[in-house]
Amino acid sequence: QQTIKLTAAAGHPPVFLWVKTLDEVFIPEVDRKLAAGGKYKIEWTKAFGGTLVKLGSESKGIADGVADLGVVSTLFEAAKFPLQNVSYYTPFGTDNIELMSQTIAGLQKNIPAMADAWNKNGLTYLGGMALDSYHIWTKFPITRIEDLNGKKISAPGPAANWIRGTGAVGVAGSLNTYYEDIKSGVSDGVVVFTTGAWGAKVHEVAPYVTKVNFGAQFAGGIAINKRRFEKLPPEVQAAIREAGDKWTAEYAKAQSALVDTRFKEMAAAGAKISELPEAERKRWADALSPVAKTWAADAQSKGLPADQVLNGYMNSLIKAGTKVPRDWSK
Amino acid sequence: MSSEIIALGSLVLMLALIYAGMHVAITLGLLSFVGVWLIRGDMDIAANLLAQAVSDSIASHIFGVVPLFVLTGFLVAYADVGKDAFEVANQAFRRIRGGLGIATVAANAVFAAITGISIASAAVFTRVAVPQMLRFGYQPRFAVGVVAGSSVLGMLIPPSLLMILYGFLSDQSVGDLFTAGIVPGLILAVAFAGVILLMAWWRPGMVYVGELQPVDDEALMPLSEMLLKMLPIVLLIGSILGGIYTGLFTATEAGAVGALVALLIALVRRKLTLRSFWGVLTETGHVTVSVSFLIICANIYTRMLAMSGTPQAMLEWMGAAGLGVVAFLVIYVVVVVLLGTIIDSSSILLIMLPLMLPIAQQFELNLIWFGVITVVAVEIGLLTPPFGLSIYVIKSTLGRTVDIPLGEMFRGTAPFTLTMLAVLALLMAFPQLSLMLLK
Amino acid sequence: MTASRNEPGASGPTGGAFAPDAYNQALPFGLHHLFGAMNALGTLWILGLMVLINLDVFGRNLLSTPVRGVTEMVSLSIVGIVFLQLADTLRTGRFTRADVLMDRLKRQQPRVADALQAVFHLVGLVLMLIILQASWEPLVESIRIREYVGAVGDFQAPVWPIRLVTLLGLATTALCFGLLAWMDLKRMAARGRLAGDAA
Ligand code: NA
Ligand code: NA
Repeated sequence: QQTIKLTAAAGHPPVFLWVKTLDEVFIPEVDRKLAAGGKYKIEWTKAFGGTLVKLGSESKGIADGVADLGVVSTLFEAAKFPLQNVSYYTPFGTDNIELMSQTIAGLQKNIPAMADAWNKNGLTYLGGMALDSYHIWTKFPITRIEDLNGKKISAPGPAANWIRGTGAVGVAGSLNTYYEDIKSGVSDGVVVFTTGAWGAKVHEVAPYVTKVNFGAQFAGGIAINKRRFEKLPPEVQAAIREAGDKWTAEYAKAQSALVDTRFKEMAAAGAKISELPEAERKRWADALSPVAKTWAADAQSKGLPADQVLNGYMNSLIKAGTKVPRDWSK
Repeated sequence: MSSEIIALGSLVLMLALIYAGMHVAITLGLLSFVGVWLIRGDMDIAANLLAQAVSDSIASHIFGVVPLFVLTGFLVAYADVGKDAFEVANQAFRRIRGGLGIATVAANAVFAAITGISIASAAVFTRVAVPQMLRFGYQPRFAVGVVAGSSVLGMLIPPSLLMILYGFLSDQSVGDLFTAGIVPGLILAVAFAGVILLMAWWRPGMVYVGELQPVDDEALMPLSEMLLKMLPIVLLIGSILGGIYTGLFTATEAGAVGALVALLIALVRRKLTLRSFWGVLTETGHVTVSVSFLIICANIYTRMLAMSGTPQAMLEWMGAAGLGVVAFLVIYVVVVVLLGTIIDSSSILLIMLPLMLPIAQQFELNLIWFGVITVVAVEIGLLTPPFGLSIYVIKSTLGRTVDIPLGEMFRGTAPFTLTMLAVLALLMAFPQLSLMLLK
Repeated sequence: MTASRNEPGASGPTGGAFAPDAYNQALPFGLHHLFGAMNALGTLWILGLMVLINLDVFGRNLLSTPVRGVTEMVSLSIVGIVFLQLADTLRTGRFTRADVLMDRLKRQQPRVADALQAVFHLVGLVLMLIILQASWEPLVESIRIREYVGAVGDFQAPVWPIRLVTLLGLATTALCFGLLAWMDLKRMAARGRLAGDAA
């Protein structure tokens, strides 16, 4: 039996399900498959929570060989994975996590430039993951978009585009700062995904939870160092690939279940959860600037087929039966 | 050679090289480079790891305001705000031996409500308190020890960056964690004050240089002068605390606002010329850089350790050993304190908690209390050699104004480190102390 | 504001032959001026950060117009500041180290102290060069892919200027380490000559 040493890394700590399932689904699945074959055994070193590679440099860390494989958060590496971030520029999509990762996987299969992002960065893509749908947590109730007028809302990065046009002022921040920002009054609320909001305990300071459903967002995947992968015995390669598929499916299932749990826990903790009426959701979407077009123009100028990605993306959401209040490709 | 042996070897070499006088940051960087090279058998990987850490270990908003906290400290000192405050404190506490030490602890406890990081406390009070204590005849190493020791209050009394990080990793309420830190923070402050009193009475040589100075009642300031001298510091702390608690700005932004207010005070008091202001800024830069570069290199070392799998092996062994709850807690705390001697605070949480929290949950420990224990244990690392961040911040901030050897500084801090260990034991024995303010 | 024991210009370009170490002295080719100028830039940058954050705080509260991108700029700036000022911090002897053994050597075995310092500075030089060569490719890549912080349609700032500053900082720090080592060796040689003359 041959022993192979592999180091798995992630910028996020294992409280996040995509890291937890890397540790508890992906790795055991590889081990199980190889144990069945009996020829190879992997000796894992695990370094999560940014102790080896930081968020924002995961792809470089893996490509350099500092780690062999791990989670790459494309959300935090937008310059390297511009097309993978399409969902962040097309808000009000689907809240179906699995549909989201399948949609991106389909685009990566059909549009070479999208798959190339991984190869060109020295990586082999093994599976993808989406964050659960974004909603809004505020100190005040929201029933119409006018309620946001003049309010300060934490909305970092691309999410700032989901706020601009509503009359609210966007404030920067991260999961680490939301709690203090809202508690102290630096902002009056935050646009964030449910499982992240629970982790940051946002509902303690912003108890009004309005389900706007900005949509689930593709945020990254598991990737392995390309050269290292190609040198592995075929049997090990196959085990790793299959474990990647299993991880993708299991993560999506587990994360969806977790969202329901988190909402229940928040309600039990006193949060006032309500759903934004469909008509208001449409008014909100219409109030925004054509952000997807801005994004596509920017990427096209860099020689990337962003229009094709945008069209393909909207088409596959609509084809899957998603009721989108605004078709961003139009 | 196994990676664990490489990691262990690097630790021994680190102690030797630092003792021999190699720059601490360079020592950490060099050993990590060689370590990664040996573990991976590839020099390029090692070089890339170093380059990556250089570009991303300090690139954070929270860390970015450190120079502003340092600047605030310098300006406060330059405007004689610190001097005046301590003259008042000296008069108020003149009948208490070690009074200025106690004043430093008390002032730090108040400042802790402003800042979320201990480096800020250390930088500010090095400029404000150390020169005054020296002026009034205190031992240099005692002065440094008090500032280092009380700087840990910065992350125990809310707001606290470490508590926020713990809250994240453990799925606990940050608000509850903050509340739980208040009583332990005050206990620690009182314990520090007690230790200062004890030293001043039983071992005055540890506190004062030479003879104990007699109390001189004739040169007392009138009450009105005392109030006038207190005004600027009250204004500064009041505006920052007020700003944070009314939601005008965050504890992170307080660094910038504090620097601005301190600058205004210095200008109004006509203590600052363009030339001296430039001097203050330059000095701020040097302190920030020497601390930041240390943090970068310590982070590189942490990455090397993570790659070696040593912490993981240690923790897995702990998990598999089938310990009882008391044994688990004691070993956990010992491991945290040991890691604290060489790696930085947040890295310890990130390495330890994912593996330790499930065990703590199995034992049905209260995770808020566990968080307080963890933060106190981690903070001890700020004071312990060879990598004691608070000491390094103080050393950098003092610059060449006061020459105290590093070893001497660590010795001066030892009584406070021991006090922290005692308070930690107390908090472990009586969870109620941490939980009493929670409903 | 610190009472430096020997300021640039206080001694010749090689430094006082019997200074205890190479810090805080004029460097060959007047390079301390270059390091000083970079340091001054970093200093202004710190002041700029103070102004920027205050603008954001006051803008947000008084005019309801926060400055977008402050978070991103602050986190990039700190890296820039540190590497602009690294060489000068080294030159002025502000890198932290333990001085127990070194102080004793300086008194009892000054030539050994000189040699040891030279070795340490050479190690620093090598380490800087290693990081420097590994930082080149990321800089090129950063320019090629137009790496940015922020988001399209919102605040965006390029990352490459910070990578460039980092590279320059590493290069000047490497240079500074080299010069310090050279001064250590010269000092040691001078001590040797003096010992020879005395004998
Ligand atoms: Na605090
Ligand atoms: Na330590």
